[in-house]
Amino acid sequence: MSSDILKNDIRPDDELSLQIGERDGIRDKLKRMCRQNPLAAVSAIVILIFILMAIFAPIIAPYGETEPDLLNRLQDPSLTHLLGTDELGRDLFSRMLYGSRLSITIGILPSLISLIIGVIAGLVAGYFGGWIDYVIMRIADVMLSVPSLLLAMVVMYTLGTSTINLFVALTMTGWSSVARVVRSHTLSIKESEYVEAARSIGVSKWKIMFRHIFPNCIPSLIVLFTLNVPSAILSESSLSFLGIGIKVPFASWGLIVNQGRQFLFTQPWLCLAPCVAIMIIVLAFNFLGDGLRDVLDPYMQR
Amino acid sequence: MKKMTAILLGLGLIIASLSACGGSAEETTAGVDTSAQETAAADTAAAAAEDGVLRVAHIKDFQTLDVHKTTNDFMVPINAFDRLFEVVKNDDGSTGLKNSLVEDYTVSEDGLTYDFTLREGLKFSDGSPLTSSDVEYTIVRALTLPETVQTDIYSSIVGAAELMDGTADTLSGFTITDDTHFTIELSAPYAGFLGQLATPGASIMSKAANEAAGDSFGQEASATIGSGPYMVESWTRNADLVLVQNPNYWGEAPDVKKVIISVVPDPSTMSMMFQKGEIDMLDADYIDSAVFDSTYRLPEYEDSIVSADRLATTYFALNENVEPLNDVRVRKAIQMAIDRQTILDTVYSGDGTLVDGIFSHGLIGFSEDNQGWLEYDPEGAKALLEEAGYGDGFTLEISSDNSSTASLLLVMQIIQQELAEIGITVNIEPYDEASWLDLRLSGEMPSYISTWTADYNDPDNFIYTFFGTSENVVSRSLNYPDQEIIDRVAAARAITDETERLAEYAALENKIIKEDAAWVPLFSRSHLFVLGDRVESFVPHWAGYSDFIFSSFKLAE
Amino acid sequence: MKYFLKRVIGTIPVLLGVVLLIFIMLRIIPGSPVLVMLGEHYDQETIERLTELMGLDQPLLVQFFDYVKGALMGDLGVSYRYQRPVADMIMDALPYTVKLAVMAALFAWVMGLVSGIIAAVNNNNFIDRLFMGVSLLGVSMPIFMTSLVLQYIFSFKLGILPMTEDGSMVSMILPAIALGWNSAGSVARMTRSSLIEVMQADYIDTAKAKGLLRGAVIMKHALRNSLLPVVTMMALQLSSMLSGAVITESVFAIPGIGRLATEAISNRDMPVLQGTVLFTTVIVIAGNLLADMLYSVLDPRIRKGE
Repeated sequence: MSSDILKNDIRPDDELSLQIGERDGIRDKLKRMCRQNPLAAVSAIVILIFILMAIFAPIIAPYGETEPDLLNRLQDPSLTHLLGTDELGRDLFSRMLYGSRLSITIGILPSLISLIIGVIAGLVAGYFGGWIDYVIMRIADVMLSVPSLLLAMVVMYTLGTSTINLFVALTMTGWSSVARVVRSHTLSIKESEYVEAARSIGVSKWKIMFRHIFPNCIPSLIVLFTLNVPSAILSESSLSFLGIGIKVPFASWGLIVNQGRQFLFTQPWLCLAPCVAIMIIVLAFNFLGDGLRDVLDPYMQR
Repeated sequence: MKKMTAILLGLGLIIASLSACGGSAEETTAGVDTSAQETAAADTAAAAAEDGVLRVAHIKDFQTLDVHKTTNDFMVPINAFDRLFEVVKNDDGSTGLKNSLVEDYTVSEDGLTYDFTLREGLKFSDGSPLTSSDVEYTIVRALTLPETVQTDIYSSIVGAAELMDGTADTLSGFTITDDTHFTIELSAPYAGFLGQLATPGASIMSKAANEAAGDSFGQEASATIGSGPYMVESWTRNADLVLVQNPNYWGEAPDVKKVIISVVPDPSTMSMMFQKGEIDMLDADYIDSAVFDSTYRLPEYEDSIVSADRLATTYFALNENVEPLNDVRVRKAIQMAIDRQTILDTVYSGDGTLVDGIFSHGLIGFSEDNQGWLEYDPEGAKALLEEAGYGDGFTLEISSDNSSTASLLLVMQIIQQELAEIGITVNIEPYDEASWLDLRLSGEMPSYISTWTADYNDPDNFIYTFFGTSENVVSRSLNYPDQEIIDRVAAARAITDETERLAEYAALENKIIKEDAAWVPLFSRSHLFVLGDRVESFVPHWAGYSDFIFSSFKLAE
Repeated sequence: MKYFLKRVIGTIPVLLGVVLLIFIMLRIIPGSPVLVMLGEHYDQETIERLTELMGLDQPLLVQFFDYVKGALMGDLGVSYRYQRPVADMIMDALPYTVKLAVMAALFAWVMGLVSGIIAAVNNNNFIDRLFMGVSLLGVSMPIFMTSLVLQYIFSFKLGILPMTEDGSMVSMILPAIALGWNSAGSVARMTRSSLIEVMQADYIDTAKAKGLLRGAVIMKHALRNSLLPVVTMMALQLSSMLSGAVITESVFAIPGIGRLATEAISNRDMPVLQGTVLFTTVIVIAGNLLADMLYSVLDPRIRKGE
């Protein structure tokens, strides 16, 4: 959020590079990123592994997700329980595998919905301008002004604690920054010659927006998306830490941390293992985002 | 270089504008490290334990120090205020009443008129005398204050209803003879009345001081005047509250001269503070029982753990308006299908006792005869279900409050497993706290687990709350249908002969729980505390509250 | 000056929007706050009396206008739980949060700038990676983990710093680091990238060609041209820290604004939650405004651009 202002002021001479950033160029740029920035490439692989583990959790996990096993509570890590068991005797490793499904979904899905809403809002606001622009951007301002964690807390307070409501909370806080970026791209591109040309031969407004303006935003959106995912994952874990995120018996990493932190001084792995998982995936997304920005975002590239 | 200067100027501006609202401008701009060293010395002095000072932690800040406005924040009222009577716990675990501000009293033959004599020379902490008119002021205030939540204590007094609905200006049932003598008249005999007068809610307030303080009573330390062994020295919201000895206290001066109650919202932090000796005792209620086991149930703490009985009953309420819970055989089957000892052992490490009725151990009127009849018998339960026509089982919702502790959730999960064995599919349905309370009040909650803790030491406090009026059975989502029994519960209040009254309560308990299976009685949990090195002993609250009576503490030499 | 005025007036609809949003969201919740207040001890008479007393039986629209009217005069309502004015509670809590935010910001800026500069100077070698790694760790570590680990090491194990806030400056060190580390990463990242960008510019080469010392080049030319975006970012961070201290305050028992908000949620104390969210929002808006102005003072191109 804090760097939006900087991203917004695309200088006039950026337009040229924006127009060059066409879709088939992205693949080449990704290849270049892998060569120049192996850390970003490794991060992409790490993310892929996490996603695969989440998808195949029921096959990989040695135990179930929610069933308590009261005879084996708070076991130390061993061969039977790789990361030990929690206070209800549930295998931590299995729970973390299942938890990754929720945590990664919570990272990706709200970011994706935010992206869709943000793109539409940004395109419409930027292209039509006038009062439409004013209304949309003021709504975005409202959402950006309320500190995101507090806004999410209010949403969870209002709607109650459930996974769906968590999506709602994270989407509400996420779309407005996307809208801002898309709007500023739209503003600078809509006056360009080739858009003028398209308009003069009678191409419809919506076609111009989605066929001609939107593709120019894609590189920035990829970067923005990659950086939104980790912040959504962190928000979820913060909410769960405060006891207003996902509810038992399902697992998300944030919730496992919340339950395990009481044991920080006796069975530290209960809290630290999911913490480390959160850290790794957040770091991976951040590195990947940085790498992508270096090759994709024309402003940062210069 | 101009730009650099501008940058620095801008930075300074931000800091200055921000710290202008706080009080710590100079310290912060001066730099972290230097100011840190300066205050370090002062800080260690403050953290070190002074003689006669007790340091405890409380999980939340107090709502208010005005006991008429709260139903649960009693820590300050019980220490800075006195009541006419106090509850004492005898060595055998039973409890009784003792006089406190009252020197002597008599009750008329018909149980309607109470004559009280106050002790001579009673004073509030500001030095002003405590007289009969302060008692009257307190009662009238509790009944008429717009925000009051303590009306039920005095509602049995003649004229209380008229005073509350505004048709009278004075309490007709209260007569002042002189400064130390007054009479209270009840509209019907009520055996629990004296017990009610010993609840924290019945703390006696100073008329003069309260009227002078206005709204700041209970909000500001200096305006909160009582007559207890301690007085409130300071209250920093969300940080700490300090109690010091009251020089005008009528009784024996306590061993602890000063109490610092810190607000520590995080249980892990609280536990660490205890281990570092920053607080002198730890209330295990704030900590998850599994954490407590792994951290404190170790040889090194063996001698420091104090276990206190709790006058509380944890129950599994069954709504008789919900099919098939309206069939007594189904309710009995549920009673028999739950292995309560196993639950107590696995979830709470066995710290507590099973309860087979409504009343908990130690309560006046607790009946040994009503105990021991409820056995874990899944086979018998299955047979009963079969007989009731539910051999194939059914689905039951246990409504769960989202703010419940992990331990309580575990209790529900075990019950879920055990009921599954006799074919009942249990869904644990989570609600947020307010919705949960709303649903229960509406009388439509199918089943839930909760705990009732004694307010005053009388069986009436338990049985009347749940089964005393046709409104109460609905608002607790029990929907117990037997109006005759409900009337008997209400009528038992008026029985003046104590033996007869307690016998009636025992009979009612037997009927409601054993014969009618209105709820599944579970257990009453012990309340554990861990004492630090500086505390030699203390007397836990008689009902096992988390509120400490600081005058009962003995500090180690 | 006209630009500033326009910006200030522009925030008014946003503020109104925030009040409306928060108000509507907090009023559509199911369940009565009166019941939460009473807990296990409730009876019909008390419930009805308190509902009326709190004005909860009024139509929503009346409640909203009453609230806006009050808020304009600095009256944010009365806490359900503590029965005292929310504005008073916020004023009590504010000094703690300000103290924490300022110390955390100082830590973040110093650490962020220093590691950003060191990393940029050592572009792409081991030292660069090390300093950026440490800074990024703070961004990626959940803030509660940073708090708990710091507390465990420095208070519990080593015993050199207090475990919780006790009024002294020393007790604010750990919370400030926990909160500041989180932002240090972004400052470092931005300092590094804009420094590297500037150092590749022609005039730096010219300066180097003139034979100036490497250190002097960095200090005199590169830094002052690259710090512009960084300063703006730091100003923005200060306001987000003021509001983002929620978790740190909870772990270290600091009685600040964030604590008020979390506690309001667990008590279902709507007026307090509403008040704290509104208040922090105003601070964030003010902070953004300040950052904007700072930026336009430092870089006049912005004003022309508008």
